[in-house]
Amino acid sequence: MINFENVNKYCLCDISLHIPRGEIIGLIGASGAGKTTLIKLACGLLSPDSGNVYTLGKNPVQNRRLYKDAVSVFVAGTPLLCRNDTVLQGFRLLRAMYGIEKSEFYRRYNELSKRLDFAKCEHQTVKSLSLGQRMRAELAAALIYSPHLLLLDEPNVGLDENGKAALCEILNEYRKSGMTVLMTSHDMAGVSKLCGRIALLDSGRLVFYGSEDNLRSRYAPIDVMTARLSGRIPDFEDLPLKRYTVQGDTITLSYNSNHISSAEILKLILGQTNVCEVSIRKPDLESIIVQLKGGGQNELYRSKGDKQDL
Amino acid sequence: MTLSPYIAYAKKCFLGRSAYRFDHFIGILSTCLQFFIFWEIYRALYGNNTEIDGITMSMVTTNFVLSMGLGAVFSPDDYFLPNKIWDGSIATEFLRPISFKGRMIAENLGNALFSLIFRFVPVLIIAAVTVGVSAPASPVMLLLFILSAGLGFGVLWSISFAVQMTSFWLVNIWSLITIKNVFVNVLSGSMIPLWFMPDWMSGVLGLTPFSSIYFTPVQIYLGQLSYGEIAFKCGVQLVWIAVIYLIGDLLWKKGQRKLVVQGG
Repeated sequence: MINFENVNKYCLCDISLHIPRGEIIGLIGASGAGKTTLIKLACGLLSPDSGNVYTLGKNPVQNRRLYKDAVSVFVAGTPLLCRNDTVLQGFRLLRAMYGIEKSEFYRRYNELSKRLDFAKCEHQTVKSLSLGQRMRAELAAALIYSPHLLLLDEPNVGLDENGKAALCEILNEYRKSGMTVLMTSHDMAGVSKLCGRIALLDSGRLVFYGSEDNLRSRYAPIDVMTARLSGRIPDFEDLPLKRYTVQGDTITLSYNSNHISSAEILKLILGQTNVCEVSIRKPDLESIIVQLKGGGQNELYRSKGDKQDL
Repeated sequence: MTLSPYIAYAKKCFLGRSAYRFDHFIGILSTCLQFFIFWEIYRALYGNNTEIDGITMSMVTTNFVLSMGLGAVFSPDDYFLPNKIWDGSIATEFLRPISFKGRMIAENLGNALFSLIFRFVPVLIIAAVTVGVSAPASPVMLLLFILSAGLGFGVLWSISFAVQMTSFWLVNIWSLITIKNVFVNVLSGSMIPLWFMPDWMSGVLGLTPFSSIYFTPVQIYLGQLSYGEIAFKCGVQLVWIAVIYLIGDLLWKKGQRKLVVQGG
């Protein structure tokens, strides 16, 4: 769907990235890491200083307008609807612009306005809406013509929990019908729920691209198992555990999931004693990112430093 | 290419204007006031004379009514592009499947049509009833006047288009637009009829696009020009439209490239 080949632009440095059809890709990274630049390169609003970008097989800068309803772009803070129009007026103009058939248009509009919950303010002007309401309407404006490729820059800004959930549900349905989505977000729970792949940018470099599980096993492989036992405390001497604590009949084990699987540990415990309750906690995306940016930062920078040494 | 989105935008602007009735009545009032002030000044200047240099008071009156009335119609939104550059929505416009320039023309025409029906016509009627306006020289001249007025709108639109395009680089072009409006108002004959300009000055003005905005249609209306002269002056209007539009279009293309390379 989108191909970046050794792209340089502003802070982005030598980005090569392939976005496959029919997937939702989450673009994450700190503010200023280059997420929006990447989105703008993908839709042809910026041209790369060097390297190539191909969107739907074509150079997006030259073909921007020709994508028509194939590509839809939403950048938080850049209005899609005219401020002085009412919401419904704005959507009618979109219908005229994209030549959507009338009954199809109203079917989609009614569905989106109901699910994103802005139907009640459709006769208000866009400028009179609250941030959250406006974002809902603008998101719907990006979705109304059912594009093949959807580029979303921070779609969660201003959305409450219901809004986020509705958006998540809608995007998932669209993905099933074949839509490709590239989205940036700071809402890690949402990215985790929605995105099949994650691209992690750090100061303009693509430091990771793959599934969340891969990210975890690479940067945060420590799982925590908590088990309540009925019986004696088993012997862990031979296990490669990071640490363990015993509190009454409850044990808490931390271990590197790259070295030993939860199943192996559980098997060993069950061989020695009875277990009433067990839970395994993997670090969530948010804590991985915090770890990467904070204390665990050295790992990222070490790998960069290695490169420089070479 | 289909016209329907452009018609939708023109319609939106037309209907949008009708929402602000108070503004609209004040607009009629302001054009009338402007007209009567200038009319009074020239009546005082004329004193007991019926004509000066072959120009009768009734011709002067007609010039004011027509050029000020057309001025109310010819009001392209000078901030169409600057506003979009300010709020960042220019990025959205670049991604739309319809032509930005086409949309700009459509919105301006929607506005102009509204002003023509609800501002030019009432002002014309008020002026005709109170001080009297000359009838067109002949029905043919009336038709040619309409044609030439349309071309005059084209000239003014191209000027506004080209000036707006500088906002890609200058961002805030309020002062530039103000200067443009002063030039248009003073040099087009809508404040001082070009008949009264000294010869050298009307010669210079003949070389600028400004005199072809209002003054050419007015001269045609009054029957001051022969068919040959009309053809020549309309040709001049067309040349100005083409030249200024091409300059604006060059800036438009360069501006787009600038945004894509440097961001906006």
